[in-house]
Amino acid sequence: MRRWPNVVRYVLLFLGALIFLFPFYYMLVGSLQSAPDTSVGGAFPTSGLTLDNYRDINSRVDLLGSLVNSGIFTGGVLLGTVVFGTLAGYALARLQFRGRGVLFALVLLVQVIPFQLLLIPLYVLIVRGYGLADNYLGMILPFAINTAAVFVFRQFFLQLPDDLFAAARLDGAGELRILWSVALPLVRPALLTAVLLTFIGPWNEFLWPFLVTKDADMQPLAVSLANYISNVSSRAANPFGAILAGACVLAAPAVALFIAFQRQFTSSDLGSGVKG
Amino acid sequence: MTAAPAGGAQRNRVAAVLGRHPVGMILAAPYAVYLAVIFAYPFGFSVWMSFHDYFFAAPGAIVDHPFVGLDNYRAALTDPAVRQAFKNIVIFLVINVPLTTALALVLAVALNRVVHARTFLRVAFYVPYVTASVAVVGVWLFLFNSGGLVNSVLGPLAPDPSWLVNEGLAMPVIAFFVTWKQLGFFILLYLAALQNVPKELYESASVDGANGWNKFWSVTVPAVRPATALVVILALITGANLFTEPYLLTGGGGPNGASASPVLIMYQRGIQQGEPDFAAALGVILVIGVLILAYLNRRFIEGRD
Amino acid sequence: MKRALPAALLTLSLALAAGCDGSGGGDAGQANAATGPITIWLSNNQEELAWGKAMVESWNGRHADQKITAQEIPAGKSSEEVIGAAITAGNAPCLIWNTAPAAIPQFQKQGGLVALDSFEGGDQYITDRTGDTAEQYKSPDGKFYQLPWKSNPVMIFYNKDIFAKAGLDPEKPALSTYDEFLTAARKIKSSKAAQAAIYPAPSSEFFQSWFDFYPLFAAETDGTQLVKDNKAQFNTPQGQAVAGFWKTLYDEGLAPKEMYNGDSFADKKAAMAIVGPWAIKVYGDKVKWGAVPVPTSTGKPAEQIRTFSDAKNVAMYSACQNRATAWEVMKFATSQEQDGKLLDATGQMPLRKDLQTAYPDYFAGNAAYKQFADQAARTVEVPNVPNSVAVWQTFRDAYSQSVIFGKQPVADAFSGAATKVDQLASGS
Repeated sequence: MRRWPNVVRYVLLFLGALIFLFPFYYMLVGSLQSAPDTSVGGAFPTSGLTLDNYRDINSRVDLLGSLVNSGIFTGGVLLGTVVFGTLAGYALARLQFRGRGVLFALVLLVQVIPFQLLLIPLYVLIVRGYGLADNYLGMILPFAINTAAVFVFRQFFLQLPDDLFAAARLDGAGELRILWSVALPLVRPALLTAVLLTFIGPWNEFLWPFLVTKDADMQPLAVSLANYISNVSSRAANPFGAILAGACVLAAPAVALFIAFQRQFTSSDLGSGVKG
Repeated sequence: MTAAPAGGAQRNRVAAVLGRHPVGMILAAPYAVYLAVIFAYPFGFSVWMSFHDYFFAAPGAIVDHPFVGLDNYRAALTDPAVRQAFKNIVIFLVINVPLTTALALVLAVALNRVVHARTFLRVAFYVPYVTASVAVVGVWLFLFNSGGLVNSVLGPLAPDPSWLVNEGLAMPVIAFFVTWKQLGFFILLYLAALQNVPKELYESASVDGANGWNKFWSVTVPAVRPATALVVILALITGANLFTEPYLLTGGGGPNGASASPVLIMYQRGIQQGEPDFAAALGVILVIGVLILAYLNRRFIEGRD
Repeated sequence: MKRALPAALLTLSLALAAGCDGSGGGDAGQANAATGPITIWLSNNQEELAWGKAMVESWNGRHADQKITAQEIPAGKSSEEVIGAAITAGNAPCLIWNTAPAAIPQFQKQGGLVALDSFEGGDQYITDRTGDTAEQYKSPDGKFYQLPWKSNPVMIFYNKDIFAKAGLDPEKPALSTYDEFLTAARKIKSSKAAQAAIYPAPSSEFFQSWFDFYPLFAAETDGTQLVKDNKAQFNTPQGQAVAGFWKTLYDEGLAPKEMYNGDSFADKKAAMAIVGPWAIKVYGDKVKWGAVPVPTSTGKPAEQIRTFSDAKNVAMYSACQNRATAWEVMKFATSQEQDGKLLDATGQMPLRKDLQTAYPDYFAGNAAYKQFADQAARTVEVPNVPNSVAVWQTFRDAYSQSVIFGKQPVADAFSGAATKVDQLASGS
């Protein structure tokens, strides 16, 4: 009786996983082909695999330098979001203070505004108002505190039982302490989700860092690869393969990061925490 | 909550002005300052622009920007392309949001109980989310073009004209595409929420003789309701801001504008065609629309007002 | 609390907006005489970049006090947004070496460009170098805001192997009239020699019409631009003949309606393509190709055919401080010597009136380019009119609706678009 649904679950999950993995697989295969084959058979090649597309990227893009820039850009955003985002999320969820409603409305509003609307005024502000062209700070600023992450933090702090906080406050713990040693450990999976969410934005973002930095030595990987893609797209031996290889290079660190982090994704065992 | 401690008269007065936890202001301050410094000007400026005859000029260029009232809004609302784009985005949301929510929850529940091959399965569902659109779009073109894998499998059942050039199907295909691409993130959100569901709830449900299906409905679904509200609202917001997919997948909102989205039109008019005033009005309309939906979501799913 | 929000936001943002406005752009007369270091942007495609770097090096070697710093911007879709944003923020470079003619009206309206006539002999230099073709690059106010630099006149490339397989003459294919072209296309399709006869991008980006409708329109009308004297020119018997020709190709499935991810000609999915001289290097060894001029309804002789130029130009941006240097660099980099190097490196045609006689050795040694050089003498540019991009998008939408997808008769779609284009082009 219990065995059966379990088997079904695994079969379905693996089937789903294959559907989700297929494009990645296709990307990988495409990036290894010397000539593009867009037919159905092309997805399952038996020969003609080569690393040329990667070699070509390596010869045209300073991978290490771009990776360092990506690291600085993404790292800055992560730092800002994790530190100030959790503080704001906690305050919004758990503390009654004047202006909370306004702030929360702003959180919603900022999330809702399409970036394309702000693009040029934002650029003028950062470059002309703050003088941050060709500067890492200028690259980081529009993303520095990810509003969606603030929203996620708030929602998860909100989900924790009230008694927990009341008890801690009765013990005389300060809010920072409550946040650090009571709330954060309990929402660790949410924290990781928000980190991964925050990571992807700047990691894959290309237009903004490109606008802000014209100096090729400062450009993150997504920009270098997009530049590479835009100018090889009609010229490489296998343009489509070159694009896919670029995408693989960009995706690899993100996937690696996820694999490293997903171990942490275990239950925080709230039940006992409440009771204890 | 708990009663105010002794000698609370003065505290109460402070509370009346600053709220019960004024420290919250300090904690939230960096974020509030950040919003003011980064977003207030561009957004305020966009709103201002939407009421004026405006285009971006070089610093020092002498240009007149007369106030035009609601002209830009009128132009945006009467533009057939804009209307179509809003219609398209409604189709998109109607498919994308429920599908995302349902699939993400079901998959998260299933994944949560998985013991074997856990890393593999989680990574698999997460992969499309991290992959750059430009590559993923290539894959979908391969799957959905007229000679593609999907049509080969369907054989005579394949639609004609094929998916991405069929006015009735282009938007649904994009909605599925986005569901698929974003699902990994929403699964993670649900997984995170599931970690906080007290095991006791399931145990007591088992004692009451509930089977798996009953438990899902009577324990899991209510327990993750805040997460559902979050998933719905984030899906709504990312959906309403749809841009990359019609830009890349259907070559600028084709066929015939059947997959154009409001943000795509904003981009075409505001950045490509140099009419940021029109684009700003369109943007404001979009923002208001999404805020209304967000409010409804808060009202009905989160269950507050 | 919620009511307070909009008011607070508005006050705050208006205060900030007021604070950020202003800041003048310097005196133009003074800037025109100033010399000193300048920054330029080059397109990042490999061959052009190599040429650009060599050019900069040779300039910098001779002008220690007026050094050029070169930066790269993408050649593709995003270059216009990048330039537009830089104009607005006032940090555009002095010169950009891949300014699209279609973007000039907007940049000019933004106050982002310097009229080259304001330099002594500026007007003269441009007309002397480019000849009559230069006229097309004048703005409505009669000034040059761009220096016509290089063109990529488009022609029909065909795959000789596919033609042979379809039973067509691979050496001298009959493709000069619409009927001949359609007959060949049908043969290619019915013989299954290739999936498509020709495969222009069927997508809705405003610039796609430059590579299907516009070259044939230029040929059919002996060089009429899409808009002339603020009037749309495509809603005419000639315009409809061109549209009818493409419509037949789409209706009969000779040209697919679906986007192709990749290069259909290189992948041998299409037997023909509309391309510029850059294609010679790209397809060089991969495809056995031949080139013919674009077809016309009556089969005009090759030496009469006009086509779309696909030019990229040089413009000077108003943020530039040392404009005298920038102007000298502009002349230096478009000198006969540098143009020769550009031709050598890229195979793109400098917009010079005496192209073939100026570089006889090159064309003797590169016979394949001779055809394009010959075509380069008869090119048609996009019209230099207000709202240029909006004009093209309007046209593209109507074209897509009627010609590609057949949802509306061509006559209706074109006349509707023409009304709108007339309005746009007259600047309202």
